[in-house]
Amino acid sequence: MHIPDNYLSPATCGTLAIAMAPIWTVAVLKVKVQIKQHRETLPMLGIAAALAFLIMMFNLPIPGGTTAHAVGGTLLAVLIGPWAACLALTVTLLLQALLFGDGGILAFGANAFNMAFIMPFVGYACYRLGQKLHHEKIGLAIGAYLGINTAALVAGIELGLQPLLAHTASGAPLYCPYGLNIAVPAMLAAHLLVAGWVELVFTLLVYQFVQKVAPTNLYQTTPKTSQRPWLYLLGGMALLTPLGLLASNTAWGEWSPSELKHLLVQQHVGSTVPQGMAHGFHFQALFSDYAIAGLPVSVGYILSALTAILIFLLLIRGLQHDQSTFKN
Amino acid sequence: MTNQPSKTDLPTWLQTPNQPITKRHRQPFWARNQRHLQALLVRLAQPAPAIPATRWQLAPHIKLLRLGLLLLLIALINNGLFLWGLALLLGAQLLILAPSQLRRFLRSWLFSSLMAVIIVLPTYWLNGPATLLWFGFKTSLILANAQYYRATTNFQDLLTGLKTLHCPDVFIMTLAIAITYLRMLGNYLLQTMEALSLRTVAPAKHPYRLIGALFGNLYLKSYTYALALYAAMEARGFNGHYAKPAAKPTRWRDYLSLSPYVALMALLIFWRN
Amino acid sequence: MPLMTLEQLSYNYPNTQGLDHLDLTIQTGEFVCLLGPNGSGKSTLLRILSGLATASTGTYRFNDQAITADYLRDATKRQQLHQQIGLVFQNTDVQLFNPSVTEEVAFGPRQLGLSTAEVTQRVTDCLALTDCTELRERVPYQLSGGEKKRVALASVLALNPSVLLLDEPLNGLTIAAQQQLLTLLSRLQAAGKTIIMASHNFQQVQAVGQRFIIFNSAHQIDADVAGSVLATQPERQAQLMTL
Ligand SMILES: Nc1ncnc2c1ncn2[C@@H]1O[C@H](COP(=O)(O)OP(=O)(O)O)[C@@H](O)[C@H]1O
Ligand SMILES: [Mg+2]
Repeated sequence: MHIPDNYLSPATCGTLAIAMAPIWTVAVLKVKVQIKQHRETLPMLGIAAALAFLIMMFNLPIPGGTTAHAVGGTLLAVLIGPWAACLALTVTLLLQALLFGDGGILAFGANAFNMAFIMPFVGYACYRLGQKLHHEKIGLAIGAYLGINTAALVAGIELGLQPLLAHTASGAPLYCPYGLNIAVPAMLAAHLLVAGWVELVFTLLVYQFVQKVAPTNLYQTTPKTSQRPWLYLLGGMALLTPLGLLASNTAWGEWSPSELKHLLVQQHVGSTVPQGMAHGFHFQALFSDYAIAGLPVSVGYILSALTAILIFLLLIRGLQHDQSTFKN
Repeated sequence: MTNQPSKTDLPTWLQTPNQPITKRHRQPFWARNQRHLQALLVRLAQPAPAIPATRWQLAPHIKLLRLGLLLLLIALINNGLFLWGLALLLGAQLLILAPSQLRRFLRSWLFSSLMAVIIVLPTYWLNGPATLLWFGFKTSLILANAQYYRATTNFQDLLTGLKTLHCPDVFIMTLAIAITYLRMLGNYLLQTMEALSLRTVAPAKHPYRLIGALFGNLYLKSYTYALALYAAMEARGFNGHYAKPAAKPTRWRDYLSLSPYVALMALLIFWRN
Repeated sequence: MPLMTLEQLSYNYPNTQGLDHLDLTIQTGEFVCLLGPNGSGKSTLLRILSGLATASTGTYRFNDQAITADYLRDATKRQQLHQQIGLVFQNTDVQLFNPSVTEEVAFGPRQLGLSTAEVTQRVTDCLALTDCTELRERVPYQLSGGEKKRVALASVLALNPSVLLLDEPLNGLTIAAQQQLLTLLSRLQAAGKTIIMASHNFQQVQAVGQRFIIFNSAHQIDADVAGSVLATQPERQAQLMTL
């Protein structure tokens, strides 16, 4: 699940890292609240990061003689809370990338997005849902399975988009060479069939043990306090979204139908046009889609970015208004 | 000596020798994990990697910046000549490494590059040899640079570098705690597995239940560590802020060493605009 | 035939030495005390004797069988060795991993293929011997240090090993509990078990030890004296008191 370097284009990596920024900010705010009640949460972040590291390096036996390893995202979310888990897993991933060569350094944001955000939160949501329906173990099991598979799906999509997003003039992929039609099924098959089950059994057994031995050590949800952090998250995302336009040579969803068809045909048929090594920088197409005739590229980009920011600010304004009327 | 219930009041079973168990079985799941953990602990216990030639020693944060810039450049550039140049630069740096370090570098670099290339091998039939070669070349160059950073940087340097780059204190502290407790928890896990293996005299019937107990215990241990650590932090006057030791002044030479990469980056950005 | 024989045995940790050229013979049924300052190699020797680690150089023979890394690679042989040698760790925390004290003690016997009644019998006996009966429903993780030591001993005893290795078992016990434990060890010895106990406190073990192996801080054996001989050497006793 750790995506190595050079499988994702720098633009994708950057976008996902920037997308993580507001999530980390909210996580820090949320954890600060948690620390007020359980002061040991502060050192626990670091210790949980070490724990996650050990979980990820532990080989679990699977029938057939081989081994797999769990990630523990859902488990940590249930044990120390999803926001603390997000921070702890981030630290784990950073350590792995910088000091142990597990997962790329540029791809750190992408890996954090998949394994420190998607996985614990999907898992935790299922767990909470199960708790509400008085079947928390079933919720946890589903959460562990769904969490790792959602993360794998997202990783597969990130990888599979690369040939569409970044390719040479002749269509040869620059980064991960597999399209969506290969990357997504490959990631999903491995996780749906094996890793997901390993994660499920592992999570459930550790949870059972802790629940039996020291039920008070499980994360207790705090009563709902303020919705502000969510607004920060939304706001941050909104503000940063224009940067996302950077992520692709041709921006998301802006392929003209013929272009899309062309790309997809290339993907499936597989063009074997040999690619010269000295094609120069592939940056030439970067801003072309935003260049309005007669305007310099940079001005056009700034204008579109400003427009997007304004739209999102308006959206937030509207949301805020709605909430205050609800309260009254 | 075997049957003297009269002499002591111990239960009879405790006074009769065991029948040795002769059931055949496979290696238990922890054998391999013990090896991995031992390797990890040895790595963590090792003092700083020895780097000769202190004259060209870069400040930790500059090293970190340079690594980031380099990786970004390699990922962005699609010009064979430029990449060739960067590869030569790295090769020259490798010359300074001690021979044993160089061998270790080569071994892990070749291995990780091989792994990366194997995954994309099928692309040979999908996109042709050029894509495969190009991808393999760039990936192994990135891996080599990252590996070089790891080989020449210890954990303390990384922390100092991040601190100088104004990473939030809480984050630095968390990172420092993580690496310290990685060693302690790793040791704990290793010893638990040893104790487990000493008392496992027959094939484990439910290995997964044991694993659940193993990691459940590890979590509870982490929790007690966290409680103790917080108490210790408070006892030493910790008030939620992490004191910053004075940062080393950055020398002009450090910045100079970054300039080629910055220039290349600038060139890259303004190439077409 | 001696039970255990060590010849010129050394053990090196990745960056320090653990043991330096030991020569040692231990007979069946002995009660041996390993004495020495912190870091002198007592724990390391117990790890070697139990088969957790193997010699860097030199040989270790148990029942005339050389215990090497190759020999231990065979899972069956290793587990047969473990069945005969029990070890109570210095850090008992790591030894207790089950959700209750009863399960902890039953963990070993269950694997021996005993009937449920026999397992229950062993658990009851071991808990009674170590004075843990009232702890049976407790969670090991929440016990005090001394209680953990006793439960760990009970869980090792339940496997009925013929050799019992104990690493600083008296630490954290009250004086009364220390006396109780030493009496139990003597009874076990009388029943034919071999007992090897590490301690850094001579006073605590002076009364029971029949043979004292004294380590120095260079990880070597300084002296190997019988208890009866030691009783006639007041100056050495005084020296051991200040370890
Ligand atoms: N896991 C280890 N890694 C490295 N060195 C160790 C380890 N365990 C013990 N040592 C070293 O080996 C020597 C002997 O230690 P040990 O056998 O634990 O002593 P004792 O039990 O007599 O206090 C000491 O110098 C100690 O520092
Ligand atoms: Mg010791």
